[in-house]
Amino acid sequence: MKKGLLMVSMMLVLAFAAGGCATKSDLKEVQAREMAISTKADQAAQDAQAAKAAADEALMKANEAAARAEAAEKRAEERERIAAEKERIADEKAKQAEAIFKKSMKK
Amino acid sequence: MGRFLGRPLWPIVCDFMMLSVCILFFHGCAVTRDFLERLPILGQRPDSIEENYFLADEADDVIGRLVAIRLKNGDTLPDIARHFSLGINAVSAANPEVDVWVPQAGESIVLPLSFILPEVRRNGIVINLAAMRLFYFKKKGDLQAVSTFPVGVGTEERPTPMGRMYITRKKLRPTWYVPASIATDHRKKGDPLPDKVPPGPLNPLGEYALYLSKSGYLVHGTNKPASIGLRATNGCIRLYPEDIKRLYDTTPRNTPVKIVNQPYLVGRRDGMIYLEAHAPDELSGTEALKKAYAILKKNEKQTGHAVDWIKVKKVVAETRGVPVAVSAMAPGGNTAVTETIRVRHPANLYGQPQVPEFRIDAWYVLAADYRDKVDARRLAAIINHQGPQIPARVLSIGDRHRVLAGPFNNKGEAKAAEKRMQIDLEIDGIVVPPVEQGIAKSDK
Repeated sequence: MKKGLLMVSMMLVLAFAAGGCATKSDLKEVQAREMAISTKADQAAQDAQAAKAAADEALMKANEAAARAEAAEKRAEERERIAAEKERIADEKAKQAEAIFKKSMKK
Repeated sequence: MGRFLGRPLWPIVCDFMMLSVCILFFHGCAVTRDFLERLPILGQRPDSIEENYFLADEADDVIGRLVAIRLKNGDTLPDIARHFSLGINAVSAANPEVDVWVPQAGESIVLPLSFILPEVRRNGIVINLAAMRLFYFKKKGDLQAVSTFPVGVGTEERPTPMGRMYITRKKLRPTWYVPASIATDHRKKGDPLPDKVPPGPLNPLGEYALYLSKSGYLVHGTNKPASIGLRATNGCIRLYPEDIKRLYDTTPRNTPVKIVNQPYLVGRRDGMIYLEAHAPDELSGTEALKKAYAILKKNEKQTGHAVDWIKVKKVVAETRGVPVAVSAMAPGGNTAVTETIRVRHPANLYGQPQVPEFRIDAWYVLAADYRDKVDARRLAAIINHQGPQIPARVLSIGDRHRVLAGPFNNKGEAKAAEKRMQIDLEIDGIVVPPVEQGIAKSDK
């Protein structure tokens, strides 16, 4: 009985030992895998963050450029409006002067 | 190779040419252009061009040529018009983008010295109200002699009557008997007129009058030359002083007069069909255009030359008052008549108002004070072209441009001018006494 128990125990110990060795390496492998994955994940997260930051910056720059273009267009439109208004006033003055002149030419 | 004073000739020639180029360059483009214009190989520009007298074939309906001239500083369109015996309407219509009073120096303008004769029997005097032009037809052998002058005509309220009349009498230095309606108008604007105005600078009839058989209507001169080409009379026909003299001298009593209103004129010259369009009045424009189209179609059929109807539409829309060829020329036709001649700017423009320099001992009337020099120049030009003339000049200091009418010898003259400007031009002037009071001639 004792021999049998001892045998079983030894077998169990052997089995555990073998299993333990297997479990340890597995564990290490797992840990290593996990570490690698984790690192990868971190990298990916950083990359994503960087990409997002870059995209945000690009969007901001694009918005700024659009705002500048719009402002420039508005200034140009304003200049055009002022020039057209000046021309209209000059035409109006010339017409008024002409009307007064024509009236003065009557007998 | 030749020699000159012992030196080889070729280097001397090269030096001379280099020197000439330098001189021309530093004197600027205007002189260079003027210099080049005189070179026979580049074509002579005539100093003058036919303006009033034309001999034409009986079959021709178009007389004269289109002329171009480059403006100089100080020119106004009324001054150019008068020099070339055109009305201001004609010059302005032919050059719609050009400022009448302050045109750009160096600008080239068209002088419409070409006319399509009105569609009437060519006998005696014919006046086309739409073109504001008078034509006097006489026979000269197989040719027709046409004298033509610009005119001023009646306003919308007091239009010149159309129809057949004749010259009943002629009068040198006529007296103007003021019609009641005109007396009333003048009284209302604070400018009462006497019953009659004797000959002189204040007489609106000028120095010569041809009385028409239609009572109350005359062909006469004017004391307002700048009004020729305007609808400014009370129904009479006005001519420049120099033109009415010529007409008076050559027109006998009983000469027939036909007054028409033809804004669209169709004519032929050298087999080519021309169209001339003036701004029509509202009442007769549509009928007149229909008639013109019918005449164009008839001419197209008769000549066998296709009319460019797109061009016709353009001419009608633009109303520049200039004969435009709307068909091809007949084979062997004279292409020279379709070309525009460029003339030299005269040294002096006939009738241009002269403005004396500023005097510190004279009275002035301050007419306006502008920031814009163009506005100031425009007003000064308008004042200068009043009839009789009120001299006026722009005094520019910094960015202020004052229009000063004068010089006047005394306060009375200045006040009289102030009143005229107020009544005729709605200007509230300010009388300015002389800078040096002691030298003023009188102070009434």
